[in-house]
Amino acid sequence: MMKTWISLPLIFLLIFLPFFLSQYWLHVMIISLFYVMMASSWNLIAGYTGQISFAHAAFAGVGAYVSGMLAVNIGIPPWLGIFVGTFVASLLGVGLGYLCIRMGGIYLSLTTLGFSEILRIIITNEDRWTRGTMGLQIPGFFTEYSKMSYYFLFLIVSAVFLFILYRLIHSEMGLSFRAVLNDELAAASSGIDTIRVRILAFTISSAMAGMAGGLYGHYLMLITPDIPSLGQMFLVLAMAVIGGMGSFIGPILGAFVLEVLSEYIRIYGEYHVLLFGLVALGVARFAPEGMVGVIKKRWKVKESP
Amino acid sequence: MAEFLMYFTNGLVIGVINAISAIGVSLIVGIMRVINFAHGELYIFAGYFSYHLSLTFGLSPILAMPLSVFFIFLIGILMERLLIRPTYGDEMYSLIITFVLSIVLQNSALLIFGPYPNKPPALISGSTQIFGLFHYGNQRLLSFGISIGILLFVFYLIKKTWFGKSVRAISQDREMASLMGIDHWRINMISFGLGAALAGSAGVIIAPIFPVTPTGSSAISLTAFVVVVLGGMGSLKGCVVGGLILGILENLGAAYVSTMYRHIFAFIILILVLVFRPWGLFGQKT
Repeated sequence: MMKTWISLPLIFLLIFLPFFLSQYWLHVMIISLFYVMMASSWNLIAGYTGQISFAHAAFAGVGAYVSGMLAVNIGIPPWLGIFVGTFVASLLGVGLGYLCIRMGGIYLSLTTLGFSEILRIIITNEDRWTRGTMGLQIPGFFTEYSKMSYYFLFLIVSAVFLFILYRLIHSEMGLSFRAVLNDELAAASSGIDTIRVRILAFTISSAMAGMAGGLYGHYLMLITPDIPSLGQMFLVLAMAVIGGMGSFIGPILGAFVLEVLSEYIRIYGEYHVLLFGLVALGVARFAPEGMVGVIKKRWKVKESP
Repeated sequence: MAEFLMYFTNGLVIGVINAISAIGVSLIVGIMRVINFAHGELYIFAGYFSYHLSLTFGLSPILAMPLSVFFIFLIGILMERLLIRPTYGDEMYSLIITFVLSIVLQNSALLIFGPYPNKPPALISGSTQIFGLFHYGNQRLLSFGISIGILLFVFYLIKKTWFGKSVRAISQDREMASLMGIDHWRINMISFGLGAALAGSAGVIIAPIFPVTPTGSSAISLTAFVVVVLGGMGSLKGCVVGGLILGILENLGAAYVSTMYRHIFAFIILILVLVFRPWGLFGQKT
């Protein structure tokens, strides 16, 4: 009941708000929605199965570059290309997941970090195909460019992602995700194949990153090695951590707050990464449940005086 | 032939420096199951410290180098005490915290030291002819010697001293070790500092040969991680062998295949190890 009261006006707001926004803030909203997809899907592995992947931005890069290069070189329309990009990202996800997850969380973090670096190096150096740091110009989705259409495209895909994630988390599989997080040994002894569950979660989340990256690339229409960079990875991680890992709303909240804030901070120079880093450190250290955790605590205090 | 031997020698020099850096990671993983993603940044900071201590503050490089390492040791101790200690037992948060820290330190380095590569002064100049085949820079030879010295010191520390015994006891069984009266908080803190100091040592040794840049730190961390996985997590011997293998392969690969793809060789090795021998050369199969 409570949830409908909050979510209904929110949906109305998201649908009608863009008609009152300037082109600049519409752009900020589109980018925020991209980060909602990224942070929420990263949260599926990190927040719900306790695995830290540093390749989420890299998978977005895979999605963007695969779809972008297909469009530029053989004229495959972006609508089709992003599905190919998503597929390639999920294949890489299965491969990396299969290799590392059976060895434990540390291995996944190490290898995904390596994958991320290598992908950046390859994209930067193979400039015959990718135009390196100059960036590759790729076509957009719509023949007539309009930020409004992109806003609704991003809104719909984000809603679909969130719906899938919500259903996953509240399904039997979600239950086993959390069982693995809380007590791996107990989960294993009650018949949950902990490794398979983790690989599955990692693959779904990597595929989502691939699709989000593809959409992002065809919106920007200029893709650079910044998309699969560790800096981008850090932003996604910071959004999930500051918003609240392991909660459904946390990464969504974190994505909007950090993206809008970074627009304001950008006026003073490129300090937003440093600032978000320090805040994320403080949050991880003192309030590991993030903004959502803090709000929940306040709420409870008020409810029972 | 002379050319090949020169690249091989380069590989050996980089290899022992790799080994020092990797032991820094391995020591911390072995004792606390924590991977320090800020390892590369500590390495870079040490290089900058030694640059500024000797060029801005006019200290002799012989003093600037150990002093920089000492600063990094202190930073390591602080990191453990303030950020890592509360995360023990929660692997996920330690990964997040050290990764965020690496981004914070990298951006601070950009802000404080600027984006340009800095090269501290060499300790000695000139070159020596090796086996009558090629000339080799004295600075590189000296770096090799210092690195061997540090490796011997670390092996002595871990294998022969009481501190080393406690470290090994904790790596094997933390609870048992504390029952035996080992103060594991203290050992953790000192080991973390030591791990940081080893990153710093590698940094000050390499900086006069290859200048340090703030953006080079992820590749440094990556190299150290690959060496640790290749050698086997927690194995010191593995770090030395793995460090040499990677150093030699990377240098020969860079010379004969492609310089751009130096780090790709490391990643290929990492994947091959994970496929065929995930516990590494000297690690224990569990």
